[in-house]
Amino acid sequence: MFFNGPSIDKYIRRKDRQARFRGHGHGRGARGGASDMTRTVAIIGAAAVPVGKWQTPAGAEEQVLEHELLAGLVLDAVADAGVDRGDIGSLAFSQCRPYTAQKYFATFMAHYLRLPCSGTVSEILGNGMTAGLAFEQAANDILLGRSKVALALGVNFETATSAAEHMMSSMRAVGDVDFQVPFGITPIAWYAMDAARYIHEFGSSREALASVAVKNRAHAALNPLAQFRKPITLADVLAQPMIVEPLGLFEVPPRSDGAVCLVLAEEDVARGLGRPYVRVRARGFFHEGAHQISEVPNDMIALASAQTAGRAAFAAAGVTPADIDFAELYAPCTIVEVLVSEALGLVPRGAGARAAVEGETSLGGRIPICTSGGLQSRGHPAYVTPFYSFVEAMEQLRGRAGPRQVANAELALTSAELGNYNAALVHVLEAVR
Amino acid sequence: MLAIIPVVGPRLYPPRVTAFTRRFWDGLLEGRFTTTRCDDCGKWSFPPKPFCPHCWSRNVAWADLSGRGRLYAATTIHAAPAVFRGDAPYRVGIVDLEEGVRLATRLWGDAAAPLDGAVRLVALRHADGALFAARPEPASPS
Repeated sequence: MFFNGPSIDKYIRRKDRQARFRGHGHGRGARGGASDMTRTVAIIGAAAVPVGKWQTPAGAEEQVLEHELLAGLVLDAVADAGVDRGDIGSLAFSQCRPYTAQKYFATFMAHYLRLPCSGTVSEILGNGMTAGLAFEQAANDILLGRSKVALALGVNFETATSAAEHMMSSMRAVGDVDFQVPFGITPIAWYAMDAARYIHEFGSSREALASVAVKNRAHAALNPLAQFRKPITLADVLAQPMIVEPLGLFEVPPRSDGAVCLVLAEEDVARGLGRPYVRVRARGFFHEGAHQISEVPNDMIALASAQTAGRAAFAAAGVTPADIDFAELYAPCTIVEVLVSEALGLVPRGAGARAAVEGETSLGGRIPICTSGGLQSRGHPAYVTPFYSFVEAMEQLRGRAGPRQVANAELALTSAELGNYNAALVHVLEAVR
Repeated sequence: MLAIIPVVGPRLYPPRVTAFTRRFWDGLLEGRFTTTRCDDCGKWSFPPKPFCPHCWSRNVAWADLSGRGRLYAATTIHAAPAVFRGDAPYRVGIVDLEEGVRLATRLWGDAAAPLDGAVRLVALRHADGALFAARPEPASPS
């Protein structure tokens, strides 16, 4: 499927990869010893609602409630995977926003679904990395042999709270409450400072950065899960009101609600189902031991955590950035996509914005980035955003992305972050068809 | 010593003071920008801490910083949290002090410093306590 006459080069590259994979399997006997090291995790099913406004105001006579929406996705995702509910051993939830009335959401959902579990039932929090860590919790239960099938799932409802009120909380998440918050530094203000520094150091421009938003909207136009799908021009982006200079409304993430359920399984289970699936080849993680900034001056826009986590993931997968077919990056603002694509080695340092201008990171380009529309256009329900990145990677790797399909997509890269990329979680995912 | 600028009204988001950090906030009211430095490894900490985050020694001492530095990054915030809405648009930045200490702060006044340009911290004396900010260093008299 979707192998529309691959070039000989592409074919050779593919064979070469397969040969290398055999020697570098992630947790597949390379280290020997404990049996849990020989397991491999697969993603076998997914369901998600379109990102957008789902939450109803607190006083509304009729409400949309988180657990009802998510339960529907659980049934859809499990059907997509082709497993039985009795196979599920673990539930790893991303924590809900504080605006969600139902507390102890994970255990409530286990009840709502009437789903006894012998692995773990948990609710994970890690700022923007929340859903990435929930994914890992589900994967780890499989790697440890606690569950054959695990769900990674969650719902993020927040749009009924205004941005100005929401920032009263979020600014406390992205700065020292006593030594930074009193200055009114908002989450995306940190990214805006990255942008100012990037333009200053590399002679880039606001226009070049803004082209990332145009590219992402063009991708979102092809994605039914995206929040904003009407194509826009560079002039449209530049005409928007400033939010945090030099970033305007279309260059920062919107407020969004969303919900996702992913089905993970031990690869033996995936193989037995006889359907295309996604193999989790490798992961890398790094926290630089700093929150936004530390008192030690560094190169803030190098994103050291993404560099280190990326290197770890590539090494564990036995691949290089050049082997990656597309990347679904956690990048709330245009500048972040530029910086993280540079830090991961997908584009050269200082060339990320130009790559977007020149179409290198567009669908059909050398390395398509954020084919889902990115966080500016797909939307940003922050605590489940990394789940949506896995959904996109899965759709592409299963050859089900329709008009936005990356031709011959076999290897994908995803990232999640927290702070100002003070930590990064990187996954290398592989198509198995 | 920092220039002290009286500001009308209370701080919009007052920092909490601990028995340990009181020395920083009280010093700031008098125009001193003081923090901790490790007696063992010699490295600075900011904010001040009762231990050294670099080597985990508890042998730390208070020392004053000059307040002189360069602007590493800056932005103007138009979309503000509820409590800061009356200030918007306002400017914030990251400053690298000459002692090799990085911090984030509000940028003060209408004169915008270019990135890598010289800035100096000022103490803001509000009715309820102190805050700090940075403003472009006036050109030195020739």
